[in-house]
Amino acid sequence: MSLRIDEQAYEAGNYEYVTARVRSRRASLFDDDDYRKLVRMGPGEIARFMEETEYETEMNALGARHSGVDLVEFALNRNLAKHFEDLLRFAEGRLYDLIARYLRKFDAWNVKTVFRGIYSGATPEEIETDLIEAGELSGERLDRLAAAESIEDAVELLSGTIFEDELGPALEDYQDVGLLVPLENATDRAFYSTLLAGMPDTAEGDSPIGLYREFLQAEIDFRNLRNVLRLARSGADMDPTAYYIEGGRLFDEGQLRQLATNEEQIVEAVRTSPYGDDLEDALLVLEEADSLIEFEHAIQAALLEYSDTMSNRYPLSVCPVLAYILAKEREVDNVRAIARGREANLDPDEIERELVIL
Amino acid sequence: MTGLATLASVVLQEGTNAAPAIPPLAAAALAVGLAAFGAGYAERGIGAAAVGAIAEDDSMFGRGLILTVLPETLVILALVVVFLTL
Repeated sequence: MSLRIDEQAYEAGNYEYVTARVRSRRASLFDDDDYRKLVRMGPGEIARFMEETEYETEMNALGARHSGVDLVEFALNRNLAKHFEDLLRFAEGRLYDLIARYLRKFDAWNVKTVFRGIYSGATPEEIETDLIEAGELSGERLDRLAAAESIEDAVELLSGTIFEDELGPALEDYQDVGLLVPLENATDRAFYSTLLAGMPDTAEGDSPIGLYREFLQAEIDFRNLRNVLRLARSGADMDPTAYYIEGGRLFDEGQLRQLATNEEQIVEAVRTSPYGDDLEDALLVLEEADSLIEFEHAIQAALLEYSDTMSNRYPLSVCPVLAYILAKEREVDNVRAIARGREANLDPDEIERELVIL
Repeated sequence: MTGLATLASVVLQEGTNAAPAIPPLAAAALAVGLAAFGAGYAERGIGAAAVGAIAEDDSMFGRGLILTVLPETLVILALVVVFLTL
């Protein structure tokens, strides 16, 4: 699998075809009006509304086995998986490599889900419903993973993927302590280390590839930022560098250790960093409100806006694809938040605050 | 000075007498060929995008077709050159 990437990375991509398809799909996502309608519906109505949209096939396929909000959630996941799988199917050469880098995030998610499922003794069917087949791992391999008898078998099944190298040593740790943490960290590390590996360093900051690299770096930086903020908030006495991911521009390991205890210093460090301007609003939210959730929403909104600008500036590049991926992820998150919120009888205004809308 | 003038007249005379490396009709044919090549290259990208758009939405067929063949005008304009040389 990784071999395929290396060979392909130097061939030209079919940008015209993929961006045309992606733009069409981007246009058919829910807009503000749809959200406004959805927020006022009950769970049953949401399910019926979704049957008349993009999600029709998935709702019908899953309707027999699930119901209510679960149905909505599984349909969302499956639809997301279908579309992202399509992206990888369409794309060739360079473009495939660039898209796959980001979509492997779902591989990492699936691998972790499988580990947790096996660890908690869930049945293969239960694990399978929680998988999102959007990444590079094939459906067949995922099925076999879900059916694995033990964690050791699952790790064995992952040989030949990007996770192989990191999971080997982690498995020994797992066998020593009997906790999943080393395996989960190894999965994340494998994902983040391939995220930037082999990206051309020479690409200028203003070319699409350069911008994409900056986006991936931002992904790492925000992950680091989120981790360190959580540590600072919870006041847990943990070594922040244990969760540090390399490759970002925001912190290095030493800085992280100094900052981890003081939230004001973290905010100040971000403000003086290259992200200062883009995240100005998000930082204000963080200072005023006491919730990390709103800060994360602000980060996501900032990313979404940035990727839209980029896709207009570089129409034949990876940027429109990226903008679509982000927008689709937000849509799925939003609809899920609405469905869960309505189920819990939250106020429409309250739910609207949970949404990330531009 | 006079030497230069004679040299220039000799060179010019020779220029008018010798047949051009590419005769006018062949040059016109080359122009059409190159224009068609350019049109083909332009249509490659547009066609790929158009097929992508049609795959998502059937109603884009007409628009996609028109946009795909637009660069064909380049060839038609190049054909004008042929008639000018005839």
